[in-house]
Amino acid sequence: MMNEVVWVKVKKTILVAMAVVVFVVILFPPMVLFLTSIKTELDALSFPPKWIFQPTLENYEHIFQFSPFMKYLLNSLIVASLNTGAVLILGSLAAYSLARFRFRGADNIAFWILSVRMMPPVAAIIPIYIIMRNLHLLDTPWSLVIIYLTFNLPFAVWLMRSFFREIPREIEESALVDGCSDFSAFRKIALPLAAPGLAATGILTFIFSWNEFLFALILTGSKAVTLPVGITGYMKETGINWGYMTAGGVLALIPVIIFTILVQKHLVKGLTMGAVK
Amino acid sequence: MELGRKVGHFFCLLKRKYVWLFFLAPAVAVLISIVVFPLAFSLILSFYDWNIIRAGGWSWAGINNYRTILFQDPYFRSSFKVTLFYLAGTVSVQFGLGLVVALILDQITRKIIGFLRTVLVLPITMTPVVVGIIWRLMYNPDLGMLNYFLSWLGFSPVNWTGMPGTALPSVMMADIWEWTPFVALILLAGLQSLPREPYEAALVDGASSWQTFCYITFPLLSPAMLVVLLIRVMDSFKTFDLIFVLTQGGPGMSTEILNYYTYRYGFKFFHLGYASALSWVLLVVVTIICMILIRMLQSRGIYAKRT
Repeated sequence: MMNEVVWVKVKKTILVAMAVVVFVVILFPPMVLFLTSIKTELDALSFPPKWIFQPTLENYEHIFQFSPFMKYLLNSLIVASLNTGAVLILGSLAAYSLARFRFRGADNIAFWILSVRMMPPVAAIIPIYIIMRNLHLLDTPWSLVIIYLTFNLPFAVWLMRSFFREIPREIEESALVDGCSDFSAFRKIALPLAAPGLAATGILTFIFSWNEFLFALILTGSKAVTLPVGITGYMKETGINWGYMTAGGVLALIPVIIFTILVQKHLVKGLTMGAVK
Repeated sequence: MELGRKVGHFFCLLKRKYVWLFFLAPAVAVLISIVVFPLAFSLILSFYDWNIIRAGGWSWAGINNYRTILFQDPYFRSSFKVTLFYLAGTVSVQFGLGLVVALILDQITRKIIGFLRTVLVLPITMTPVVVGIIWRLMYNPDLGMLNYFLSWLGFSPVNWTGMPGTALPSVMMADIWEWTPFVALILLAGLQSLPREPYEAALVDGASSWQTFCYITFPLLSPAMLVVLLIRVMDSFKTFDLIFVLTQGGPGMSTEILNYYTYRYGFKFFHLGYASALSWVLLVVVTIICMILIRMLQSRGIYAKRT
């Protein structure tokens, strides 16, 4: 009997120790990023790494003063916000249609929308580049606002469909019987009821737009450069300025981390597009 | 008058029957114009030779681009091998490690789950370019943490991303760091939603914990496992940011997966016809693999028809 109690305790301790190892492995690399960003150039380049040093904000000041970091930040904000707005409008309408109305081909359309999400962006980037060039949209935020719909819209349609399905159908049906039109049943009843889910969808959409790199690399050149592309600009042929690059990286992560914590409850559902709760 | 009412009635019926279309059409129209149309365009382009920086327009090449890719291009073959190796290596390790982490956390988290989840979630939503920067910093041969730890243990420094032998495993390790938490998070959610009754029955019947895992946990968790596999496989083909920041495909072509190879053909060499053909080959490969996984999922009722 005694032995069993001891064994359970040992097992528990081992499990906790393993969990601690997992979290150290996850947290250590981003911590190195943060520490490097608040070191002077001399401290950052010293080896072995310094653990005790005088922290400084000079890297942050420098990227705002001497590089167009503010512009990158604004571009990222504009692209991600406008894209999220478009995704929420188009996506909620389509998701509502797929969740509520019965019509032939609904499953095939939903499946087709899902398959768009699987497409590797490289597969479409050459024609998209040519089309954007001919429309004179290269190096404008508009090209990114439009193109980010390719991956965000299918994601949002699937996720929101699962949120709409959780609302009991009867509420809308009674409204329809009372003479409410389909569109006002959607706007006045379904939309408010699904609002928490839609907010989560919007936040995830924003994060995906904020993080996107490949399209931004190819479709922008100087004026519309977004944060991820801007930060990689600190990698030069002559070498990397670690201070600027890590400071830029930390600033790019701040909104992502805040949003992630906000949306945590829906994250599993969000990342699997509604397949796992 | 009579006619007017009939027409009005007709439109009313039409509206009732096709109201779904008004909701669905905008999104579908957008997707057709930004996905289907470009893909059709690139399919046509893939049968032509077109170098955007050289003078002269498109010239008909027939199936030459595809023939070259499949039978003559040694770089395609090496890139294909790198892709398969990358895919198999990262996804299997992420899956195994993620499952172990999920099982550990399922045993202990109940009280502190909020904090643990937040930590687990960080790498998943982090900007991938920044993940690349973090790991480039870690791998740096002169001042990186990894070589610092190696020096503790008495090993000589390694040029992680600079040598053909270690570059690919280095990129894969960063990928594994980034995505194992994703697998763990989804599987943990799956584990926590499992019914309790089978476990109680197993306990009564005196099943060992290994038997419980094999005959109860594993089958019950398999839908969540398949979802994770599908998402990881399809996203793995898209890996670009990490490679761009860490190695740019090098040294040589040692880290150049198909995705990156296609990008380089299009936007470094400007052979747009050939790159389009490459992108279609990639698309077909991804589609076949994903379809197999999706069929498996649908037979279990996930991503499937409404019930």
